[in-house]
Amino acid sequence: MERIKKIRNFCIVAYIDHGNSTLADRLIEKTGTLAKRDMQEQVLDNMDLEREKGITIKLTPTRMNYHYNGEDYEFNLIDTPGHVDFTYEVSRSLAACEGAILIVDASQGVEAQTLANAYLAIDNNLDILPVINKIDLPSARPEEVKKEIEDVVGIPAMHAPCISAKDGTNIDQVLEMIVKEFPAPKGDENAKLKCLIFDSYYDNFKGAICLIRVFDGTIKVGDKIKMMQTGKVYDVTEVGIFVPNEKPIGQLKAGDVGYIAGSIKNIADVEVGDTITHADDPISQPLPGYKKVQPVVFCGVFPVDGAKYNELKDALEKLKLNDASLDFMPEVSQALGFGFRCGFLGLLHLEIITERIEREFNLDIITTAPSVYYHVYKTNGEMLEISNPSALPSPVEIERIEEPVVKASIFTPPEYVGAIMELCQDKRGIYKDLTYLDTSRVRVNYILPLGEIVFDFFDSLKSRTKGYASFDYELAGYQPSDLVKVDILLNGEKCDALSIIVHKDKAYSRGRILTEKLKKIIPRQLFEVPIQAAIGTKVIARETISAMRKDVLAKCYGGDISRKRKLLEKQKEGKKRMRKIGSVEIPSEAFMSILKLDDEDK
Amino acid sequence: MLGIYVHVPFCERKCIYCAFSSFMNKDTEEENYIRYLIKEIENSYKTYNIEKKQNVDTIYIGGGTPSILKVENVKKILVAIQNNFNVTKDCEITIECNPNSVDYEKLKSYKKLGINRISFGIQSLNDEDLKFLNRLHNKNQAIESIRMAKKAGFENISADLLIGIPNQTVNSFTEQLKKLIELGVKHFSCYMLQIENGTPLENMVKKHQIILPTDDQSVEIYNNCATFLKKLGFNRYEVSNFALDGVESKHNSKYWVGEDYIGFGLSAHSYINKIRSANPNNFEKYYKGEKTFTEKLSKEELIEEHIMLGLRCKYGVDIEYLKNLGYNIEENENLTDFIDKNIIKKDKQRLFLNPDFYGVNNYIILKLLP
Repeated sequence: MERIKKIRNFCIVAYIDHGNSTLADRLIEKTGTLAKRDMQEQVLDNMDLEREKGITIKLTPTRMNYHYNGEDYEFNLIDTPGHVDFTYEVSRSLAACEGAILIVDASQGVEAQTLANAYLAIDNNLDILPVINKIDLPSARPEEVKKEIEDVVGIPAMHAPCISAKDGTNIDQVLEMIVKEFPAPKGDENAKLKCLIFDSYYDNFKGAICLIRVFDGTIKVGDKIKMMQTGKVYDVTEVGIFVPNEKPIGQLKAGDVGYIAGSIKNIADVEVGDTITHADDPISQPLPGYKKVQPVVFCGVFPVDGAKYNELKDALEKLKLNDASLDFMPEVSQALGFGFRCGFLGLLHLEIITERIEREFNLDIITTAPSVYYHVYKTNGEMLEISNPSALPSPVEIERIEEPVVKASIFTPPEYVGAIMELCQDKRGIYKDLTYLDTSRVRVNYILPLGEIVFDFFDSLKSRTKGYASFDYELAGYQPSDLVKVDILLNGEKCDALSIIVHKDKAYSRGRILTEKLKKIIPRQLFEVPIQAAIGTKVIARETISAMRKDVLAKCYGGDISRKRKLLEKQKEGKKRMRKIGSVEIPSEAFMSILKLDDEDK
Repeated sequence: MLGIYVHVPFCERKCIYCAFSSFMNKDTEEENYIRYLIKEIENSYKTYNIEKKQNVDTIYIGGGTPSILKVENVKKILVAIQNNFNVTKDCEITIECNPNSVDYEKLKSYKKLGINRISFGIQSLNDEDLKFLNRLHNKNQAIESIRMAKKAGFENISADLLIGIPNQTVNSFTEQLKKLIELGVKHFSCYMLQIENGTPLENMVKKHQIILPTDDQSVEIYNNCATFLKKLGFNRYEVSNFALDGVESKHNSKYWVGEDYIGFGLSAHSYINKIRSANPNNFEKYYKGEKTFTEKLSKEELIEEHIMLGLRCKYGVDIEYLKNLGYNIEENENLTDFIDKNIIKKDKQRLFLNPDFYGVNNYIILKLLP
């Protein structure tokens, strides 16, 4: 049989915890790619954070060899991040495949993201193999779920393998169906070189590594290659595959999946979705579908200890090496000093990056409330893009403000529909439609301001639906909105890092909640401190922190000074976490507090 | 000059708020304990690597309840100190007494032994309060003990009082002070009742069996107490200590000024030549001569201690001393702010905390640390 006929390139798409990584592990184990003793749970999830959160953030492809009917097949599994923040990355890895395994949890059924990812796969012309996972669970209802897939996703599912990735049940069936159901790639290894970059990462020795799928031609060490979008040219220094660790093999041909290195110093020069061709014999048209990823959620990131600005800068630069979608630029806040305004693909991305800064670089940071880009149209005809509330011009200069909105779809058991609609209404949502997918699942569609989603939407949705609802969204442009900036004044001084942009109708209640919350968080000071919320010069809420009356260390008995000194040293450490606004000291938690204005506070 | 502290770890019973080192095994342990205590005193020049017969100008016998010791044992302790140190003529010698464990005879014997200062654990002059605290004396006994001490010839009498007891009011506290001053008390140590870990009080509070006054209420009483005493000529020379002129506790002042002292007995602390050490809070370990820690203070620690202690008493902080240790406190911008607001007073080379801010001294100290 011809070489290319025995290749199967596929990915696994699934809702966040339906078990894509576990299935990937089983496939690797069953094909003997890794001996069992080398297996570590979720082999492909390299980062600690990925293992902990049970999610895939960075893609890792794996080459496996599978023997079937007397033939040796080459499988390339491309793991995908199952989260909305990384939709573009998912779509590029899908573009590198011919087939997709769609995992659906046997008890939970189809979720919002299952559908989103399935459609993404269909859009990329992939053949889809549904797999019902977790049949070991007592609550498993595989037959119903199959029907749900047929009804909701609209693909045949009656012959879907029913497996337990955890226990290793029916994995062989999946392997066989990969051979039978998925087409071999098409392509000509003698044609001009055409490769898709579907991911990249940074290696301290080799520079940026491009993960590629070869569509046509052959790429080998020594080739001079060109990135068609950026126009940059490099010499290929290494070509290899993942088993699942990097293994140099000298060349990759049409249909193959692997990696190349080329002394590329900057990860930003490698753009996911770009096309690689030979510099001296290029193709005329790049592969379709390339787009530059744009961050949609922004927040300020500041070191708790102001002296650690440079360490924070290093940390962000290092993270950026592996994550081209992370955006940051220096920012100065009166309250928080020097830091950065960072842009993220979404809230999960934000959470992951900030957590990695704290963990991997051991830095304590303060993040300000996440915000979105507002389009501010000024009376003089100018349009400003603003994500930092403190940069908003004064109200008299503003003609109108537009905010980004998203098309949100929420999947839920019918009993929570009321609660969800109430929540969406509260978040200024515009109702679109509601569809019963079957008796137990409903899809609700809303147009929601992105700014409301970044506030506390996920938490509220989770608590109102006991975690049963799933949620997905896509950006849907900008729309005008009656937005105002609410400032917080401490002892009469404006604290820029606490300013928020909110809808006019909510300004009063937010202002009140914020001042109340700050009163609880800010410790008493030597003198009374008024906390005010204001729109422009108009005060809309006020609280007062009364003066501190007692702060004495325990008496020292019989000359036990050591204990006292140690207590003092401990408190001194705590003080470092305080920020000073004028004469008022604020603990760093205060800045996060505005992120979580829960329902119960209202 | 050197100060000596002697710890007597025995009590007839524990007060509900007490987390100090005290046990109720006096009957079986007293003689044994005194033997080891004397041994420790005799060996101290070796333990602390100091010259024999050092001058000592303060001795403080604290507890526990020192007044429940047999008088002959108190004598043994003082004799041992006399034999191993050079006790100066004007040496301040204090003993802590509970009103119920002294009588006229005992007080007269103390006087004869050279003791010249009595510190009474009065705590309150309200019988209900005293019962609640699990104290063994009542109001009348408290008054009577002070009268007897006066009669026995003691001029320098101090009273410990607690603030923050249920039902206490500004008025009741002032009345109490009036009464004690009338009786001849010249020195007060007023402490806020603190909830220490593992005490019955902590348990009661957790189970909501009692409701203690709020911090604000206690502070109210405390501030009134300070104002009242000030009017009568009492000088607040430390956060919790008030004295008429000339009767400030020389011994306790050593702790705050940073002078050397040796602590003998269970759980006693010592500070000699910039080394802090502590005895174990366990008879067996103590008898073996163990230490729970010995630490030589670093420059940073010396700075911290000097600021921490100097700003809790009238002796203040020495700017030059800090400079020599490598800290120029005058470059701390918080200091300028505090001086502007009259929170800190600067007098030549020293900084003093305005006594009105003693109640929040910890906050200020933290701001002035390097």
